Amino acid sequence: MKKSHLLIGLVVLLALGGVAAELATFMDERLAYSSPLAADAEHAAEPTPRELALEAQAAAQAEEDANRPYEEEEYRAFPKIGSRVAVWMVAQLHLLFAAFVLAVPMFALIIEFIGYKSGDKRYDDLAYEFTKLLSTSFSFTATLGALLTFLLVALYPKFMNYLMHVFSPTFLPYTLLFFFEAIFLYSYYYGWHAFSKRVHLLLGLALNLVGTAIMFIANAWLTFMTTPAGISSTGARISTWEAVTNYTWMPINIHRIIANVAFGGSIAAAYAAFQFLKAKTPEERAHYDWMGYIGNFVAIAALLPLPFAGYWLASEIYAFSQTMGLTMMGGAFSWLFIIQAILIGNLFLAANYYLWLGMGRIEGAERFRSYIKYLLIVITGCFLVWATPRSILATVGEVQAMGGSSHPALGFLGVMSAKNTAVNLLILTTYVSFLLYRRSGRIPTVAWAKLGNIVQFAIFAVAASTVLFFGIYGYFVEAAVRIKFSIPQVLSVLVAMVAVTVIDIFLLRGAKETETRWGQISNTSQYVLIFLAVTFTWLMGLMGYVRSGLRQHWHVYGVIRDTSPDAYTPTLGFATQVVSVTVLIFFGFIGVVFWLASLGGSHGSEDEAAVTSPSLAEGET
Amino acid sequence: MRVPVTLKVALLTVVATAFYTYVGQLVPQKEVHPPEVVEMSADLTTADLVGIGEEIANGKGLCFTCHTVGKSGALRFPDLDGIATRAETRIAGFDALTYLAQSLYDPESYIVEGFAGGMPPISKPPIGLTDDEIRAVIAYLQTLGGQATVTMDTLIPFSAAAPEGVPMAAESESGESEPPAETSEEGAA
Repeated sequence: MKKSHLLIGLVVLLALGGVAAELATFMDERLAYSSPLAADAEHAAEPTPRELALEAQAAAQAEEDANRPYEEEEYRAFPKIGSRVAVWMVAQLHLLFAAFVLAVPMFALIIEFIGYKSGDKRYDDLAYEFTKLLSTSFSFTATLGALLTFLLVALYPKFMNYLMHVFSPTFLPYTLLFFFEAIFLYSYYYGWHAFSKRVHLLLGLALNLVGTAIMFIANAWLTFMTTPAGISSTGARISTWEAVTNYTWMPINIHRIIANVAFGGSIAAAYAAFQFLKAKTPEERAHYDWMGYIGNFVAIAALLPLPFAGYWLASEIYAFSQTMGLTMMGGAFSWLFIIQAILIGNLFLAANYYLWLGMGRIEGAERFRSYIKYLLIVITGCFLVWATPRSILATVGEVQAMGGSSHPALGFLGVMSAKNTAVNLLILTTYVSFLLYRRSGRIPTVAWAKLGNIVQFAIFAVAASTVLFFGIYGYFVEAAVRIKFSIPQVLSVLVAMVAVTVIDIFLLRGAKETETRWGQISNTSQYVLIFLAVTFTWLMGLMGYVRSGLRQHWHVYGVIRDTSPDAYTPTLGFATQVVSVTVLIFFGFIGVVFWLASLGGSHGSEDEAAVTSPSLAEGET
Repeated sequence: MRVPVTLKVALLTVVATAFYTYVGQLVPQKEVHPPEVVEMSADLTTADLVGIGEEIANGKGLCFTCHTVGKSGALRFPDLDGIATRAETRIAGFDALTYLAQSLYDPESYIVEGFAGGMPPISKPPIGLTDDEIRAVIAYLQTLGGQATVTMDTLIPFSAAAPEGVPMAAESESGESEPPAETSEEGAA
């Protein structure tokens, strides 16, 4: 465009603006209200009746404002999606990041410690790489926590006032701990190469202790809402300590620690999988394959005891209120546990599939390949039993034909006897998969190897038989007796896993090791790791919903009633939609975390010389 | 055309999430709303009370979350079939009305042999039935193996209107006052 044209355009524009302004002024004068009295010079300065009326109106408003009494608002509404969904999503996002931030230091510290004790620098590097994910995540956690607090105070002011009445003594320790969390986290990360290893390990330990303490305090607030204690029947505080140590506080603490580790491990494995898929060199593939394996190992190791912690939590809910327990397992939320079964079934299937794919990178693993199909059959069978509902949706005619809402045959698989049996066998089978993987790269050389194998097999057989026996016997006894059968079932599986592991450690001492070809694994395995992370996240969202939703139309169960427009339990379909949107937002955020972490420099090749070393297998499990 | 890894990962995340959302739509969909107070006028007949009581027992009273009617075998909580008959003799000195009332207002004070406790007092939150709603539930329970006798004028033991701690019917039946039972009832509702 020529400069002269631009100049002419500007001049025309200014001229048009001037004309428009003149025209507006002229029209305003012409059209403005003129009092007929204005023509009379005597009345020219007097206000018009309209002006007088406006003045009177403003004065009345000012007086009303000045005398308006203060009224505490009980609720405020969040636009479009409503207060509950807004708080729900932000709380879930905050919890997901918090879980990650609390979990990563736990296994980073353990991996660093292994590196320190073994002198193997790769472990130290791996721990550092895990920790790189922390700093941005910590900021996300804090920001989302602040947003959650603001939303709660703004949308539920009266209820928050009540919570402050009960828990105000916990706020200062919480804030101080958060302050220390920031100090320890950043000194742990930035001081990786600045402090001596012992000091650094101590910093990591302090970080973990402080982080866990923070979670314990926050858990007190939320568990109190479900299983209140330490208050009078009308809600007046009697003892803050009793309010903290309510029925579900410690079960939630333990459950969350384990679940956080499982979740954190899976997210870290997903990070490694993503980097593996983008890797340019064999060295990078080898490194991220190993990192993904370790992350997944952490996740699955934590997943195995998680159902036991969940069982303890559920039993405490029953102990607090049979009504709440039955609402959870037999009422409004019972179908949620069918969705949970599908999720956990997918977790176990995918975790086993990853292990089986991983055997491909281990020399000598072929000898175990033939077992996989049997493991798959058992896992699939257990999955199907666990996902079988007790009662099914049916037409009136179908219900009459079945003689009730339970299927005459399949209905028997929907009861706890069958489900407990299925989940215990599922855990045991996954452990066998893991054991086979561990054995793939090693050939025992001890003299008692054959006997050791027989004993291990016998332990598995006894454990599986115990689980099956109590599962079947449960159909023939009263409920009060049946409910106690889960204890020997759980114990037999736990004891078997511990005993077999101990035997295995001694059995494989001095074992002949074959080569593990890190990086030589199909891309499918890495997508499996990402699928596991998505499933873990979705499962956390779903279980977070049931934990909170159990209160139904109560802010504090049985004490402070929810009278807001959201005081009802939504359909499971709606709940899963909210969970899904939250999960997608979380992965959007976590993508930013991964991207920022990768800006710190990709893994160099200087460490890679030993990645394919057979010695790696020693510490990997 | 080669699809970028980031896009593949994003697609996998969306597809997995969509699958779980889909599973969530397959299960029964039910919204659970808070129970509303049942309006009860003074001119309700016993038959009206039975109908209302049955509705409450099936709904806001949550009775059948735990209890059954007409089932036997390995039950978790007592079956209510024939409760009206058993209530007459369950506790010495308590007539059926007193027993039923105590089982609703103070259920943990008497546990039926072979069962564990755990029933909440239904006059208190979270269930929180009103005295008149409990009156209706008692009328309904009286029909399970017996005849409903409760009217809107019947003084319900353990209710707010009853003298504190005194099982009314025990006194009226025997003609002499008996001390309140130390252990009470079955956990009927």
